[in-house]
Amino acid sequence: MKKRSVELVANPPEPHFVGDGFRVHNFIPSGFRMDMQRMDPFIMLDYNSKYHFPASKKPKGVGVHPHRGFETVTIAYKGKVAHHDSSGGGGVIEEGDIQWMTAASGVLHKEYHEEEWSMKGGDFQMVQLWVNLPKKDKMSTPKYQAIKNATINRVTLPENAGTVEVIAGEYNGTKGKATTFSPIHMLNVKLKKDGRANFHFPAHFNTVLLAVEGTVVINETDNLPTDNLALMANDGEDFSIQATTDAVVLVLSGEPLREPIAAHGPFVMNTRQELVEAFDDYNNGKFGYLED
Amino acid sequence: MDKINLRQYLATNLHVVENDVLEIVEHCTVQQIKKDSFLVRQGEYCRHGFFVEQGLLRQYSIDEKGKEHIISFAPEGWFITDRESVYFNEPARYFIQAYENSQIVLLDEDFNQLISKKISNYNTFNTKLLHNHIRHLLKRIDLLLSASAEERYLQFVTMYPDILLRVPQTMVASYLGIAPESLSRVRKDLARKNFKK
Repeated sequence: MKKRSVELVANPPEPHFVGDGFRVHNFIPSGFRMDMQRMDPFIMLDYNSKYHFPASKKPKGVGVHPHRGFETVTIAYKGKVAHHDSSGGGGVIEEGDIQWMTAASGVLHKEYHEEEWSMKGGDFQMVQLWVNLPKKDKMSTPKYQAIKNATINRVTLPENAGTVEVIAGEYNGTKGKATTFSPIHMLNVKLKKDGRANFHFPAHFNTVLLAVEGTVVINETDNLPTDNLALMANDGEDFSIQATTDAVVLVLSGEPLREPIAAHGPFVMNTRQELVEAFDDYNNGKFGYLED
Repeated sequence: MDKINLRQYLATNLHVVENDVLEIVEHCTVQQIKKDSFLVRQGEYCRHGFFVEQGLLRQYSIDEKGKEHIISFAPEGWFITDRESVYFNEPARYFIQAYENSQIVLLDEDFNQLISKKISNYNTFNTKLLHNHIRHLLKRIDLLLSASAEERYLQFVTMYPDILLRVPQTMVASYLGIAPESLSRVRKDLARKNFKK
């Protein structure tokens, strides 16, 4: 099998606030060579690097907003987020949990720092990813997959190198709990210093690595410092990472959908007409109602 | 909405090729303005029209109690100006302010003269635009005098399909001349009618 090389390593871009509760670096789609077409099916990646929020009586966050045509995946590393939606759903995403929300035909939701957590404040660190849906599934019924940390399937790496949490897809024969609409591997790789892990994904799967904690070396040649993101080339199947300190790396690899993308704000569809319909439906209450 | 440049806008609407308007557009100044910065303040003299290539402007007055009243929004592809000062040499009645970081083109009298001279159907197009604007303003007055909050809201989202997702609801309520609570009620009623779980 051919080795997959590093296409580029990106520093975290200047952060901006989403609402008042998420201080994020946007890698996809605004990063160099990381537009939606290149990164397909990953169409948005916001990284809230570790950031200290002081105690706040009023929970900070993002008010009511809609989504249609894709899935939002929230991976909580530090802090807690409470969320509510227009179908009456809601919950709390705690440290180590994953929330996989299939917005599909449309949801209205809001996300805030969980009340008790907000009262104390603390370090907050999360990834929010948008995964595009195939054309045939864009208007399917919305759903949630709340994946508690304790239920995530894990692989123990040989030679006491660390563990791999398999969120979706597969690693060394262990499957993730999350169901996906197209082939996707999502792994949280927790390595001890000097620990090593090998990966094998089809060459055409678009693949990125985000160093959430610590630093690693990819393929024994390319350094991936903390909070940096490596975009892997599509020139081979195999790559490895080796930790230079204790490290946590989020690994994403997905098969491109190769369908037209029409995106505007919180809607990602296939045609401009479908975008117009999305705005129309939102304006006419077809996403439901949620109090701010 | 998507970025629109003035050259494409004019070429499409005047049915000419982009090269025909290139020289005219090159004469204009393109400005990047930050969110919250003012293009015109009440009482000042405005000397330009503005075409929005990217971003969002809003035009509003402030009453004696300090309350804002939004007259219009200008997203991508819209023209906006203060007619008091540009055409009547009176101090501006309204504020024009950027609500998002925006890219705008400044249009002055030289632009008007040049384009009228070079493009034969510009004056017809401009007159039609003006009639359309007056038609819209009359309808707006009529709706403010006679229509329910829901009717005003439905007219607003037809005209400005994406504004509700770009500004706080209080601004939309201000434009509609209703209380923010009334706007919430309208949206709640529509959801009750149209939302299927």
